[in-house]
Amino acid sequence: MKSGKRQKKLGLLLVNATLLLLVLLWTIPTLGIFVSSFRNREKIANTGWWRVFPYRDWQMVREIDIQNSGLDPDGVMEIEGATGTFEEFRAGVETPDGKRITWIGNKRLGRVEVQEQVWTIDWDFTLDNYKQVLGGQDFEFKKPDGTVQIVPGDNMSSAFMNSLAVAIPSTAIPILIAAFAAYAFAWMKFPGRRWMFILIVALLVVPLQIALVPILRDYKALNLNGTFLAIWLAHTGFGLALATYLLYNYISGLPRDILESAFIDGASHFTVFTRLVLPLSVPALASFAIFQFLWVWNDYLVALIFLGGNPEFELVTQRMAAIVGSRGSEWHLLTAGAFVSMALPLLVFFSMQRFFVRGLLAGSVKG
Amino acid sequence: MNKKSLLWSMISLFVLASIVLAACGTPAATEEAPAATEEAPAATEEAPAATEEAPAATEEAMPEVSFDYPPGGALEAAIKGEYTGTTVTVDGAFEGNDPDGVKFAESMKAFEEATGITVNYIGNKEFEGSIAIRVDAGDAPDIVDFPQPGLFASFVRSGDIVPVDFISDEWLSQQYNPGWREFNTVDGVEAGVMHRYSGKSLVWYPKKAWDAAGYQVPETWDDLVALTQQIADDGDTAWCIGIESGAATGWVATDWTEDMMLRTTSLENYDAWVAGDLAFDSPEVRKAIETWSSVWFNDAFVNGGRSSIVSTFFGDAPGGMFNDPPNCWLHRQANFITSFFPEGTVYGEDYGFFYLPPVDPAYGKPFLVAGDLVAMFNDRPEVRALMEYFTTPQSASGWLEGGGAISAHQTATQDMYGSDLDYGVSQLVAGATSFRFDGSDLMPGEVGAGTFWSEISSYVAGSKDLDAALQAIDASWPR
Repeated sequence: MKSGKRQKKLGLLLVNATLLLLVLLWTIPTLGIFVSSFRNREKIANTGWWRVFPYRDWQMVREIDIQNSGLDPDGVMEIEGATGTFEEFRAGVETPDGKRITWIGNKRLGRVEVQEQVWTIDWDFTLDNYKQVLGGQDFEFKKPDGTVQIVPGDNMSSAFMNSLAVAIPSTAIPILIAAFAAYAFAWMKFPGRRWMFILIVALLVVPLQIALVPILRDYKALNLNGTFLAIWLAHTGFGLALATYLLYNYISGLPRDILESAFIDGASHFTVFTRLVLPLSVPALASFAIFQFLWVWNDYLVALIFLGGNPEFELVTQRMAAIVGSRGSEWHLLTAGAFVSMALPLLVFFSMQRFFVRGLLAGSVKG
Repeated sequence: MNKKSLLWSMISLFVLASIVLAACGTPAATEEAPAATEEAPAATEEAPAATEEAPAATEEAMPEVSFDYPPGGALEAAIKGEYTGTTVTVDGAFEGNDPDGVKFAESMKAFEEATGITVNYIGNKEFEGSIAIRVDAGDAPDIVDFPQPGLFASFVRSGDIVPVDFISDEWLSQQYNPGWREFNTVDGVEAGVMHRYSGKSLVWYPKKAWDAAGYQVPETWDDLVALTQQIADDGDTAWCIGIESGAATGWVATDWTEDMMLRTTSLENYDAWVAGDLAFDSPEVRKAIETWSSVWFNDAFVNGGRSSIVSTFFGDAPGGMFNDPPNCWLHRQANFITSFFPEGTVYGEDYGFFYLPPVDPAYGKPFLVAGDLVAMFNDRPEVRALMEYFTTPQSASGWLEGGGAISAHQTATQDMYGSDLDYGVSQLVAGATSFRFDGSDLMPGEVGAGTFWSEISSYVAGSKDLDAALQAIDASWPR
């Protein structure tokens, strides 16, 4: 008995250790981006983010005057007990006492430093990236009359509002329709039910990209292009097959006994759906809502096509694409941008996450 | 039953999760997909609101405006207020909110104030893909800002673009150097107008360290090579070179090739090469490539050595010049590169530039440029008015005042430029004996934005020799 318990404990420990390792591996890149988002452009370009941890670096102790030392940089030189050629000194030559002699600059104008290795840490953080992402960059225009006009860049607030205006209805509409459909497929008997369901499952494999141009033409005929309604409908259509399939799996698994007793009591399908099925399906609805919301929030392609690049309707994803500049010179802002655009989905995820674990059905049927 | 259903829903959740994650994991693919359209806002609906804001047009005297305009044209009628309240939609390859977008909006202010016409900019980075879809779907924007004449030419040939024959020849020749007008002439039809450009034949250097080291600006290619050798003798690597640019890796090398083609052979050969009549595998192109290779492939001349060229991001490459002391001293790139220079560096103090010197004096002082031209897809009077506005240097004022591009109009004066740098480049171009458009932008997409980039990258990386690379490019040319 006892050894079994110990074995169980050991197994648990192993599982937890493995999980911890995997979680660490997965989060390291995110951590790197997070740290980088607080570093300025030159730092991001030149040194790694892990310099926030203590590391050993060579630092100058003193400088040696070489201009009048008579050293010949073209041959082998001896400086303070270290010997080497110019190239070797450029890379740094270590002396026996643990110091390093490094030549800085070219042969004619350079200087020589004696360096020592010290523990150091790079904690020089800045909020500039976030300021530029949230507040926009300012642009200077020097007018012919000599005055300088500063045009402030766009801030993120309108992009956030637009993204919300797209994401919330695009999440709610497909869930509503799919829940109805899933209930019908699961609990109502009608001819062709099986084939219609197979058709919907088959739609899962259709990539949305091939539907873009035909839908665009239809929208053009309906004069829907560039409206929020257009993108709601598009996301609804693209998400519906998956939502129906997913909710069907859940709703069809609800205990037959509950529903049958409701029917015996004289409940209509609508009553059963609203009073029983919907409340019981909250975990499935919530999990699909999370996925659909995240997908719509992170979507770039569908929004670009049906909402267009019009600055008025710019979404967060489009704002992120614009933030790097026409030639990508502002790419360092992407680090901060990623976290800004991540903030809301994280909030949604964490506030709805408990639905994943809550077992609503436990004990609902008493035999 | 109960447990089973839970199991099923969990499995489907995982499937769903993996699908979503997979979709999130490939943003590049999504971005490359052809993108399209949006509404052309119903101009009529906005009309009443705009009319109230429009300046009251007087019947007799023309209102005072800050730009010249061709007499008797649509722009003159627009300034009289005839098209007040209308909207013109402009598409292009930059986002409405990025620096170019802000500069564009700034440039349009004078036009909008003078005419009461609203300019609605809708461009985005997927422009190359989206414009074709929009035109096919019958939803073409009114005016398009083309960064590449090659794409523009294909729309001219398909008859989608309305030629600019409504603007008098006299006015155009007053506004433009005749060379510029060739860029927007396709098969003898002048179908658009040049708007702004950047100069490519420029070499940048770190001015402070440069002056301290006593280096001299070279006047010939031989001088430049001698300078490179001198810097190497001083123990430094002279050149900062990086050609990495994601899917477009290699374009920097194509620019060098074009610059060297202009300097080592005749303009006729350059034009024939760009048109596909002169093969890549020809002595002329070989000579051009070998001219720059002699510098690039010498590890003593390039910061990081030849092997680092392909893996260095083109925007990071000049960074070495701004270290103290500099890791490298020379960087050849178009004038837009200054936006990649470290913050706070100032032209004239921290860095300077000079003209990439000629190799063979027989071919004069050629200049390589690239730029944007605008063309019209829908023929309406207010669209014509905006096209006429694009022939004035004020239509590029956002770039002139904010920096980053040079007006293609010869009527641009020094006081219109906000920076000495841009004006300096414009003077270099004005002093050039000839200029040509970036050849890879004019070649068919399969070559100019495809094999030319990739094969030349393989050549630089050393994974292919010049013969194999050039033959591969020739083989990919669509015949």
